[in-house]
Amino acid sequence: MYGSYDFPVKIELNEILISVEKENGNLIYRRKFGDDEVEKILLAEDAKLIVNPVEPVNKPVEVTSFLQIEFSRSVVVEPKSTRHIYLKFPVEIGVIVSSPADIEVLDIFAPVKPKYTLYGDPRNGIICKYWKSNIFSSIPGIDPLKEGVMELTIKNKVNEWVTITRAVFNGVEMKIYYSEDFVSMKALMDVSSKTVAETDFIDAPLKAGMKKSIEIYTARKIPIVGKKLEMEWGL
Amino acid sequence: MIPDIIVYGDVTLIDLLIVVLTIVVAVIIAKIVTLNLRKTLSDKVRKDELEIIVRIAYAVIIGIAIISVLPILGMNLSGLLVAGGIAGIVIGFASQSVVSNLISGLFLMTERPIKIGDAVKVGDITGVVEDIHVMSTIVRTFDGVYVRMPNESVFTSSILNYLANVARRFEYVVGIRYSDDAEKAIRIIKEIIDEHPLTLVNPEAQIFVDNLGDNSVNIIVRIWAPSTHWYPVKMELLWKIKKTLEENGIEIPFPQRTLWFGKEEKKVEEVKELAEVEIPEIEDQD
Repeated sequence: MYGSYDFPVKIELNEILISVEKENGNLIYRRKFGDDEVEKILLAEDAKLIVNPVEPVNKPVEVTSFLQIEFSRSVVVEPKSTRHIYLKFPVEIGVIVSSPADIEVLDIFAPVKPKYTLYGDPRNGIICKYWKSNIFSSIPGIDPLKEGVMELTIKNKVNEWVTITRAVFNGVEMKIYYSEDFVSMKALMDVSSKTVAETDFIDAPLKAGMKKSIEIYTARKIPIVGKKLEMEWGL
Repeated sequence: MIPDIIVYGDVTLIDLLIVVLTIVVAVIIAKIVTLNLRKTLSDKVRKDELEIIVRIAYAVIIGIAIISVLPILGMNLSGLLVAGGIAGIVIGFASQSVVSNLISGLFLMTERPIKIGDAVKVGDITGVVEDIHVMSTIVRTFDGVYVRMPNESVFTSSILNYLANVARRFEYVVGIRYSDDAEKAIRIIKEIIDEHPLTLVNPEAQIFVDNLGDNSVNIIVRIWAPSTHWYPVKMELLWKIKKTLEENGIEIPFPQRTLWFGKEEKKVEEVKELAEVEIPEIEDQD
């Protein structure tokens, strides 16, 4: 499903239908997923449709740009060490219309059930998109329309054992890569104390030959203040 | 010549023209600067902070222009300061409420218990903060009425800010019949809450039997949601809970009383007595 398409186009996969068809001289964009339907008129000639996975923080409403992945089992990291683990993260699908001059987000939909959580206290904490993932020691199999694989590098900089139960990320600078059957992201967690860590993204694919997604925050030209996130309310 | 006409003291008509021109130019410059500030900072700074920055920039430019033209008008700045000090005291006493509003406005801007766009309750007024001026705060009530509140009254009132925290809790009391299974009801309510995307995973929703009421077993449901979206969630969930409980045979009872009347009690006892009378057995007659 992911890729770049010329008009007219009709993509049908599982429960998802995306099409751009000519009707009465106009291009009509239609998207159907379950009961959720979107229809828009495109006044365009020299344009393409790009379908790619985007930051999973947009749907059902724009409440936050943060993503919290809770680990199904705690991870205990030895002092002064660097370890890699694999997690699954939720995927939202972005449909973007592109012309030589500019790109515009046409539609975003989420094939997985969204849920939110609070990281920290109600006064100073942050609302995060919530996802629970198993921990994998190698790249797990996924449904690329619903999930992606994150390689998380945990750097324990302290001279103590550290227990980690979750990772919180700032979604505005996610670097998502995709291929026909795979979606991935690489992230880094720098643990600076038993309760504090900093998370960031690494701009690199997990497998060779993957394409970089157009990020929604870039497409919408939303100014980004900072990309790292300080996990200061516990690990 | 006309420009050399003396208006007062040493001030000529041309001096007055220079003063007016300077103020006009200053206003134009201030407008251009504030417009550019709005354009460049609108994406980077919050709306309320931007408003404060813009107003300060505007006031500074106009202030510099006024101070710079005062000597042309023959006003000595040092004398003005002394006179200003005395005048300040006099004006301060004479316009206590104005000064009080001004100071309160400055405190509101620095302490920031409310921000533009916040949903608040100040005194008896509930609504969305539209603007915070130096002297007054503008609130649009939820039914769309414009309310101008003097900053003094805002500052001295108790303020409820519904959006100051990122998450907030709301609760329902769901009464079910004594004959219904409360554990089943709790399970159903929990499933409905879990299903809704905007009810938070953490802090977890609390659902428990709170008290045994006169007419119902009362279940308390406490749910956390993002502050920006809690009200739509609250409106949506209660009806869903009611419908789903009824679909599962759990009903929310009406208030009811069981009344026993004296005569009826007597009748019941008579019936009981009759029932105790032995009925003779009828022998089979073959």
